[in-house]
Amino acid sequence: MTLDYQPSQESLSKLTPVLTKRWLSPDAWKIDVYERLDGYTALRKAFKAHPDELIQLVKDSGLRGRGGAGFPTGMKWGFIPQNDGKPHYLVVNADEGEPGTCKDLPLMMADPHSLVEGVIIASYAIRANFAAIYIRGEAVHSARRLRAAVEQAYAKGYLGKNILGSGFDLDLVVHSGAGAYICGEETALLDSLEGYRGQPRLRPPFPATHGLYASPTVVNNVETIASVPYIVLGGSAWFRSMGTEKSPGPKIYSISGRVNNPGQFECGLGVTLRQLIDLAGGMQAGHELKFWTPGGSSTPMLTDEHLDVPMDFEGMAGVGTMLGTTAVQVFSNQDDIVYATYRWIAFYHHESCGKCTPCREGNYWMVRILHRILAGQGTVLDLDTLLDACDNLLGRSFCALGDGATSPVTSSIKYFKQDYLDYIEGRKTPMFKGELVGAH
Amino acid sequence: MSIGGTLKGFGVTFSHMFKPVVTEEYPEQRKPPAPRYHGRHILNRWPDGLEKCIGCELCAWACPADAIFVEGADNTEDERFSPGERYAQTYQINYARCIFCGLCIEACPTRSLTMSNEYELARDNRRDLIFTKEMLLAPLLPGMERPPHDMRLGETEKDYYVGALENPGTSAGAEHYKGGQA
Amino acid sequence: MTDVVPKVDTVKLTIDGIEVEAPKGALVIRAAEQIGISIPRFCDHPLLAPAGACRQCLVDVEGQRKPVASCTQPVAEGMVVRTQMTSEVAKKAQEGIMEFLLINHPLDCPVCDKGGECPLQNQAMSNGQSESRFVEHKREYPKPLPISTQVLLDRERCVLCQRCTRFSDEIAGDKFIDLMERSSNEQIGVFRGNPESPEDDAPFNSYYSGNTIQICPVGALTSAQYRFRARPFDLVSTPNACEHCAAGCDQRADHRRGKVMRRLAGDDAAVNEEWNCDKGRFAFQYTQATDRLTKPLVRDRKTGELREASWPEALTVAAAGLAAAKDNGGVGVLTGGRLTVEDAFAYSKFARVALGTNDIDFRARPLSGEETEFLGSSVAGRVDVTYADIERAGAVVFVGLEPEEECPIIFLRARKTYLKRGLASYAVAPFVSRGFEKLGATVILTTPGAEAEVLGESEQLREALSADGAILFVGERLASVEGGLSTAARIAEETGAKLAWVPRRAGDRGAVEAGALPTLLPGGRPVYDPAARSEVAAAWQLDAGVLPSASGRDTDAIIAAAKAGQLGALLVGGVDPADLADPQAAEQALDAVGFVVSLELRLSVVAKRADVVLPIAPAVEKTGSYVNWEGRVRPFGTVLKTAAMSDARVLDALGRELGLELGVGDVAAARTQLAALAELPLPGTAEAGTALRGSVRVAVPTVAAGAAAAPTSGQAVLASWHHLLDNGSLQDGDGHLAGTARTPVARISKSTAADLGVADGDAVTVGTGRGAITLPALVTDMVDGVVWVPTNSPGSTLRRTLGVAEGALVEISTGGTKS
Repeated sequence: MTLDYQPSQESLSKLTPVLTKRWLSPDAWKIDVYERLDGYTALRKAFKAHPDELIQLVKDSGLRGRGGAGFPTGMKWGFIPQNDGKPHYLVVNADEGEPGTCKDLPLMMADPHSLVEGVIIASYAIRANFAAIYIRGEAVHSARRLRAAVEQAYAKGYLGKNILGSGFDLDLVVHSGAGAYICGEETALLDSLEGYRGQPRLRPPFPATHGLYASPTVVNNVETIASVPYIVLGGSAWFRSMGTEKSPGPKIYSISGRVNNPGQFECGLGVTLRQLIDLAGGMQAGHELKFWTPGGSSTPMLTDEHLDVPMDFEGMAGVGTMLGTTAVQVFSNQDDIVYATYRWIAFYHHESCGKCTPCREGNYWMVRILHRILAGQGTVLDLDTLLDACDNLLGRSFCALGDGATSPVTSSIKYFKQDYLDYIEGRKTPMFKGELVGAH
Repeated sequence: MSIGGTLKGFGVTFSHMFKPVVTEEYPEQRKPPAPRYHGRHILNRWPDGLEKCIGCELCAWACPADAIFVEGADNTEDERFSPGERYAQTYQINYARCIFCGLCIEACPTRSLTMSNEYELARDNRRDLIFTKEMLLAPLLPGMERPPHDMRLGETEKDYYVGALENPGTSAGAEHYKGGQA
Repeated sequence: MTDVVPKVDTVKLTIDGIEVEAPKGALVIRAAEQIGISIPRFCDHPLLAPAGACRQCLVDVEGQRKPVASCTQPVAEGMVVRTQMTSEVAKKAQEGIMEFLLINHPLDCPVCDKGGECPLQNQAMSNGQSESRFVEHKREYPKPLPISTQVLLDRERCVLCQRCTRFSDEIAGDKFIDLMERSSNEQIGVFRGNPESPEDDAPFNSYYSGNTIQICPVGALTSAQYRFRARPFDLVSTPNACEHCAAGCDQRADHRRGKVMRRLAGDDAAVNEEWNCDKGRFAFQYTQATDRLTKPLVRDRKTGELREASWPEALTVAAAGLAAAKDNGGVGVLTGGRLTVEDAFAYSKFARVALGTNDIDFRARPLSGEETEFLGSSVAGRVDVTYADIERAGAVVFVGLEPEEECPIIFLRARKTYLKRGLASYAVAPFVSRGFEKLGATVILTTPGAEAEVLGESEQLREALSADGAILFVGERLASVEGGLSTAARIAEETGAKLAWVPRRAGDRGAVEAGALPTLLPGGRPVYDPAARSEVAAAWQLDAGVLPSASGRDTDAIIAAAKAGQLGALLVGGVDPADLADPQAAEQALDAVGFVVSLELRLSVVAKRADVVLPIAPAVEKTGSYVNWEGRVRPFGTVLKTAAMSDARVLDALGRELGLELGVGDVAAARTQLAALAELPLPGTAEAGTALRGSVRVAVPTVAAGAAAAPTSGQAVLASWHHLLDNGSLQDGDGHLAGTARTPVARISKSTAADLGVADGDAVTVGTGRGAITLPALVTDMVDGVVWVPTNSPGSTLRRTLGVAEGALVEISTGGTKS
């Protein structure tokens, strides 16, 4: 893409390349290049500390989970009962499947060793001798890089028995899933990893005490674990110098949609959409921002009113949405909100695991109503039905997948009810050929 | 008694000679009852001759006089009596018990059971008052085929039920059937 | 034996403004039940682990942002719960879930077997909205899908609560069905080897599969046997006890117009919990067999054929024949193991009082004199082990018993305990059967005949049996092992383990208590003990010396005597000669003996040879009680009122014909007489019964352990037991049930197979001088030189064809044709 566009200095100053700093270095995914670029120095430093000191360090850094929920990582590690005689496990959730999200897979493509190094440090901290990276089945390219990286790390003695003479043993397995979105839910991921059907488990007991093979387990996102080596090297104060008070640290924002230069931009938490669009080369010609998701389709969408809201956990909660995976999808006035919602719900319907009634049946129903509206056969009552179905689904389902599925529907009707009415009242050409329906 | 009283009395009698006669000349003349008169039951058929009854026994359950007895059975590939999975293997209405209230036809989910206007149900023994399925089934009209046979009006039972709106008169003429003891 | 009630920690919570005290860890839905508040539910089942899948039981809990599934939420101190009764949030949530559940439900209640007793139907009425807003197309599947010959699946009706899959996994251990696909296409399915060819499917063949039909909260799983045969609202339900095995399951028989339509597992927490096996559930159509006897038959003097006769005539002929035989060689009484305890008591009294003999035996199977002693010493009058003891046991050891095949409810309890707290099971058996595998049992592979030796000498078993509350289960098959029962009694005594004898038939234990044995009077009193005799004589108001004092002959001896022409007559209850150790000898005995009276349900082998056949009532047409292996009395009432008479009533009439008032014709009277002599203590209590009161107990047998037979080349030692589903005559008439029986195979070890040169599936012939059985081979991890075949399955009628019992030497060869 030719870029005459020059982002403003203010926007550029928001960039904090930490996790992404090696991405542009050629062959950074090779272990010798990685080692030349400060690779595995954090590990050597970490081994000098007591595991509890590392947990404290992560607690002090204020690192919050990067998978969407933003749970404090240090606290999660602290939940692992020590000296319980059971094996401990670290599982890295690399099942990046949230629509619009593209941060973990490029990280594992460009800089897989930073993840491996993070895994070793985190395992050392929680006293796990076995770690697994559960990677999305479709991401063959990233899995290949990651497997190569793990192999190289074994060859160099970063994995296996007595790592770097520290007396610490760790085995790391890269496991490819079979392409189910639900396996990004941590307990479904654990079931899938154990070889069962990927369906969420009953909680409590939580993975911290009964995770993989009913043993204490930490499940963290790729970005979270990859941040750990930098915290070890830079210290918690340095980490807190980026981002905001309650949401410290850098974050990879992946921006896609109607911008000139979509991609990953690492900024401190709290950057605004206006700055992100600026960094991404501005809106495409002829397109005007209409709606956008802050963190994938499971987070309620926002509009151009929210261009200057800081994109951190608190800022997003303040406008009724969530930070999620910081997957910013930008849609313009040329995009059809009803169709986009229909596609999203079709995705949730397809990916629902089927375990609980509201998610299984609610999505089945909503996708059909939306299809009917797009076919020009909707009624005004359908909007009430949609909202009521969302009401009966939100907070009633077994896991968060069902909750997430309601976000596009409720937020789109909230901001763009007129677009729905245009289809219903015949002002817009139906998108599908309708079929007769009846109560069968 | 005066003669006047006598005349007055006969006057009433005579005056009736000029009023219309209400006596019905039954059985020489048979007046049709009201269209919604509750007469004996009919088990209707689909236009291809398959039975509408699915043997669900809801009529028997609804019956306040316990006059109906039904036993269901499986339709098989080789022997199909009704669309769908189930049909009535046994169907009996005991007219010694029936009070013609019509709750059974209200309960019927397939409009299989309806009531005709036929009221000549007297028999000289109780056993004959138990009408069996063969007696209650509507006669085969032209175009109908005696079950068991395959579904002719569609692939599944749904085609029958959904199409029912366009095929309302599936047993037209059944109420004129005078069989009974057939 | 009194149980100390353990102190349960409780918490206090408020549900709908009512304060409830519930055990710590209990679920909110159970706590609500305590105060009579019913929260609608589908996936929740008290005997299954919580799933939280259907979300129907949502309630409002104070302090929780979202409604909470009450079937997964444990109670907590001070918790404030509001159900649909008081909370709009909970009510709306439940109505919403109900609407979701119904959008893809076909609403075909009129043709659904569950209609009328359907939790979905009921709860849709009580907790749903009256109208649906759903106008789209519903999900459709072809139906019904047979997942086994007896269970049919309708996927459209399924609400995916996973009760069936959880039952199969958690309770039965037969994970033959599971969830397939996802989202709205999620469905229950069986393993499909190749979706195109149904032959490759692995059907849902579990011995407990019928339970899934019963716990299905919708009409998704239906029984092939009961399908469309009746509606719940015109069935009459009668509580009933299962007549099939010694487990003693509580059941419910649903009948209509004089026919049992279906049977369901009853709810008895002390015995079968809420489960039963498929045999108990589906095998009841034998009473409607075409050869069912309803009128007495008498052998015509002129034609020599059986002809129908009136009751007075038949009773007169029978009485005359028995009276003549009594003084001319005596009468042997074979009662069989299918009797109620009242009927067995009637036989016992009839033999002693009317026939003046102790030649009575209930055992219709291989037996031994050692067993006769053991029944007197260690079984009669004792109630030592209960189902609850299994849950408390430190270890269990099975000898001569395969619990899943021979007493399925013991298996379920042991498995429940194994899953809950890792109960250690041990078994002395020729191979690791499926049941032992599911119990995680340590199996000491043993050649049949050597069980006594292994049990007596194994340090591992001795250690296991020394554990707290350990139980030694011995099966009836141990009778044919020399020294087996003696060793079991000795080891139990030495280690302090509890000893439980588990027979196969429902009437066996009751017959022991009622004295249908050559050496025992009712209540386990030895016939040779004068005190015992006088006690019984007093109870029966007999003069001294009327009761015979000499020990009688057992089944084998009665048959031998009859065959040798030493007996004047035989009085036979429900005995099939094919069950005996030597069926040929039994049939010869029936032919040889001068007079045979047969009390039978159907025109059996015995009835055909009898001089007088008196028809009797099957279990569903009479009142009575069984005594299960625990010694627990399982009374049941008449399900179908017919003219058929119980054995006891027939014997009472026969006694009257002989000029005696036995007073056993009426069940209540028989029970009173039994209670005076043979009442058992209530299981799990310290109460004493009347059994053995004032009498000595038979001494424990001390037969030395025998050794297993040593096969030479071309020979093998025969091992065998009955499959749960086999050729048993009480399973006649149900093809759906037979379709789930395990395939008969001949199991041999790898080296035995190598010697024969056969692989899995090749024909193996097992033979004796009398006949041969040919079955496909299945190479199994077992002792060399042993061949296992099922006792009475299609193509493997062991005793009839081979005329030997297990432990015998048989010829083994490859191939051959089926005999």
